[in-house]
Amino acid sequence: MIMICPGCSCLCDDVYIKEGKVFNACRRGKEIFAKYNENRAVARVDGREVDVDTAIEKAVEILKEAKNPAIYGLDTTVVEAQKIAIDVAEKLNGYIDDNSSFCLGELVEAVLKGEMPTTTLDEVRDNAYVLVYWGTNPYHSLSRHLSKYTYYPRGKKRPRGYDEDRFLVVVDVRRSETAVLAKKNARFIRVDDDAELVDSFVKVVEGKAAKYAKDAGVIINEMKRADFNVIFGGLGLKYGLKDLNQFKEMVKKLNEVAPVYFIPAGFHGNMRGFNETLFERVGHVNKYSFRDGKSDEEFAFTELLKNEKIDAALIVGTDPVYSLPFEVSSKLGKINTIVVDPRMSFTARIADVVIPSAISGVEAGGTMVRSDGVRVKLEPLEEKEVNDVYILNKIKEGL
Amino acid sequence: MALNPMDIYKLLPKTNCKKCGEATCMSFAFKLLNREKKLEDCKPLYEDKKYERQRKKLEEMLKPLEEATETGLIVDESLCTGCGNCVVVCPVHVEKDPKGAAVGNGPTIDDPILRVEDGVVKVINMQACRRYGKNRVLCVVCRENCPSDAIRFLEG
Ligand code: SF4
Ligand code: SF4
Ligand code: SF4
Ligand code: SF4
Repeated sequence: MIMICPGCSCLCDDVYIKEGKVFNACRRGKEIFAKYNENRAVARVDGREVDVDTAIEKAVEILKEAKNPAIYGLDTTVVEAQKIAIDVAEKLNGYIDDNSSFCLGELVEAVLKGEMPTTTLDEVRDNAYVLVYWGTNPYHSLSRHLSKYTYYPRGKKRPRGYDEDRFLVVVDVRRSETAVLAKKNARFIRVDDDAELVDSFVKVVEGKAAKYAKDAGVIINEMKRADFNVIFGGLGLKYGLKDLNQFKEMVKKLNEVAPVYFIPAGFHGNMRGFNETLFERVGHVNKYSFRDGKSDEEFAFTELLKNEKIDAALIVGTDPVYSLPFEVSSKLGKINTIVVDPRMSFTARIADVVIPSAISGVEAGGTMVRSDGVRVKLEPLEEKEVNDVYILNKIKEGL
Repeated sequence: MALNPMDIYKLLPKTNCKKCGEATCMSFAFKLLNREKKLEDCKPLYEDKKYERQRKKLEEMLKPLEEATETGLIVDESLCTGCGNCVVVCPVHVEKDPKGAAVGNGPTIDDPILRVEDGVVKVINMQACRRYGKNRVLCVVCRENCPSDAIRFLEG
């Protein structure tokens, strides 16, 4: 049976399990399928083991009593669960945020608002000539991105694939594993300051001198040879640039001379799903406060925690104790923490309430959104009754 | 690390005694590398105690030969991340599997040369590799496109 791998935002659709072996998934994807029964969460309240319903009741009680509750995570669960989580946040008049507030949320927002032309990975495979990886090393975060969708596969209008029909550009602060692949028909640009390269592209289109004029000139000439080029932007781009508007301007400028699309290279399986789901509801992609009716830096989960603005947190499918700096995550100890997770994560170990859930894609179906916005229906091995949708629905009803 | 015949030769008895069926120790070294001969074929190396240290060294040195497929292709699984680049670029796959590996998916043919299993690449049908057999060509396409240097060939 062909399955969808929920391991990252590539959502590869050719994975299968036969005779106990996982085929075609990369190492990260394989872990999800092979180790899905390890380190499973158990229902707990204040460290005592309880049944799931008791844990859910306790969660409802905490949320009802909270003055400033926040919901956080949700990037590894399905759109159907994300929707209910937003309902819960609305009912609580609270905050909601995911990992994208310190990841690629801004770039996804620009795409959803139509500020940059975008396309799908399937179109890229069939048509794209120049592929720019800017501030992202898919080798680590999106292992099969190049082989499945971009540089290596042969496409309808690119039958010779990387041999002759593609031009690879890698922009990074160091020679990453992906940069090493930029050999023939390719260019690696090492940047200290991304803004200078952005500026160079704009200047070259305008026929002016610039720091990276030579590199930018070569790439623009290649882009002009094709009717389809694409830039994948990652975390390095977000953190390398103080002002994303400059980048959006550059994409616009490039489109004066050649068609250039943009696709965010975010990582978590369904981060884009969260961004889109919240965007449809409130017009913003993350760090949203229902009480204030707006999105703001200060409503990012990390900021709320750091500044001690919340007294309860409902954390779904993410592990801030593991991923956030200790000064921030340690504040979780001061507030009431509810964890909904298939695994006994580090955060679950310190939480007041743990509600064990099902692994999306393996034990629970639903929809996820690929990094390019394509919606993918998961094909789980089984359907567990107690999954994120079930749990969040129960919480919603209880409020 | 690529093996070369000179390094092997240096550790052989260098007597050209012909017991291995080769005219010289040097030609025996070449045949070893091509896996046409086995180290055990050099009798003096095992019979004469004074060669023991050299023999041990040679055994150590030739270990990768056993791990390698007959095409000399070695995958270091600890380095492989299962990115699938090698599977998709292999020219034999491109030709035989136009709807699978050629367009970026996992192989859909029964006998691909390489396939990602449990997160790492496995060599499952080396006979189809262009490096195999009499009319072999020294193809290095898979190695060239591996981002983590997980693939190497004995001949370097
Ligand atoms: S690239 Fe991502 S979606 Fe594809 S197999 Fe690997 S982890 Fe899964
Ligand atoms: S048997 Fe050993 S020592 Fe004699 S020729 Fe062959 S390799 Fe050299
Ligand atoms: S050496 Fe060439 S033919 Fe053999 S597996 Fe690698 S790419 Fe394929
Ligand atoms: S290209 Fe290298 S890392 Fe990728 S699957 Fe092949 S051997 Fe593994």
